[in-house]
Amino acid sequence: MQTDNEQLSALIDNEVVDKPLVDELIIDKMQQTKFARYHLIGDVMRDEVAEPLIDIDISEKVMAAIKAQAPSAEVTKLDTAVNKMPSAKRTNIVSLMHRFGQYAIAASVAGVVVVTTLMTSPSVVENNDTGLEVLSTVPLGGAVTPVSLQANNSKSKQALKEHNERLEALLKDHQLQLQLQP
Amino acid sequence: MSERDLDFQLIQRIQNGEQQAFTLLVRKYQNRVANILTRYLRNNGDLADVTQEVFIKVYKSLPSFRGESAFYTWLYRITVNTAKNYLTSQGRRPPSADVDVMEADSYDGSEALREADDPESVLRSQEIKHVILQTIEQLPAELKSAITLRELEGMSYEEIANIEDCPIGTVRSRIFRARDAIDKQLKPLLEN
Repeated sequence: MQTDNEQLSALIDNEVVDKPLVDELIIDKMQQTKFARYHLIGDVMRDEVAEPLIDIDISEKVMAAIKAQAPSAEVTKLDTAVNKMPSAKRTNIVSLMHRFGQYAIAASVAGVVVVTTLMTSPSVVENNDTGLEVLSTVPLGGAVTPVSLQANNSKSKQALKEHNERLEALLKDHQLQLQLQP
Repeated sequence: MSERDLDFQLIQRIQNGEQQAFTLLVRKYQNRVANILTRYLRNNGDLADVTQEVFIKVYKSLPSFRGESAFYTWLYRITVNTAKNYLTSQGRRPPSADVDVMEADSYDGSEALREADDPESVLRSQEIKHVILQTIEQLPAELKSAITLRELEGMSYEEIANIEDCPIGTVRSRIFRARDAIDKQLKPLLEN
């Protein structure tokens, strides 16, 4: 017993590495109390104690609070493998990707609207007196469709208006969905 | 931090999921943490709660502790930040100047608390201190010297052995015998 206590005293002073003693200390309440008293002696000698002394057994309250807060307070085992990352981190990444995915979709829709508006904007077509080049495109399907002052605007204006309204409705719907999501 | 350091061994265990090892860190540092907090808190009734909060924060932050600095330095920073946050949450302003970690050992911060203290607990604390210091005074010279060099000067067993001109094993035995003698007087006092 005396040898054990002498080992404990040396362990406190970082003069010994004794794994079995630490194992025992972690589970043995009596030894823990002695460990605390040995430290208290040093703290009093160095005048490092609050006055009055706090409850000597604060460790039990701390451990109870930690257990009560589990699993959020649980210290996660360190692991470098990505596939063994703690589930909380994985959840964060999924949530991050989900959020960025939403922004990407929103940006794509906005891009489509801008490009479509530029391509088919009547103001560009109608104000082409200055000789500016009219924007044209080659559809994926095949034939080139010229866009110029000669083109019949009355029918295309109506179609354009409907097209824009449809796009705006889609965009509004998408924005509404984004707002509703947490 | 070296592998011989008990803090290092305990932190490694906690980081590997051995939650109970944290009890020893709490038992080791609870008095020093409370002493640091007395510099910031005006109400002694909050001391135990804020000390508890410090250790819960330490536990939660341990996975990020890399051992680049001493554990006590890291713990000190967390303690000061917790005290400041606590004061802010209470609508009070934290002190403008911090007490440096190096000065912490010699700082007597208990003055601010004394007025609000429970006289019985103050008396009990004083008795505990008195018993420890008186027992040290009564120790044989070689034990008193060994424990003083260790606890006050922070010397290693090897350094003490050089000063006392004796084997390391003798130093180890003297320090233990000194602690054991003080503990015999202290134990009944704390158990009451």
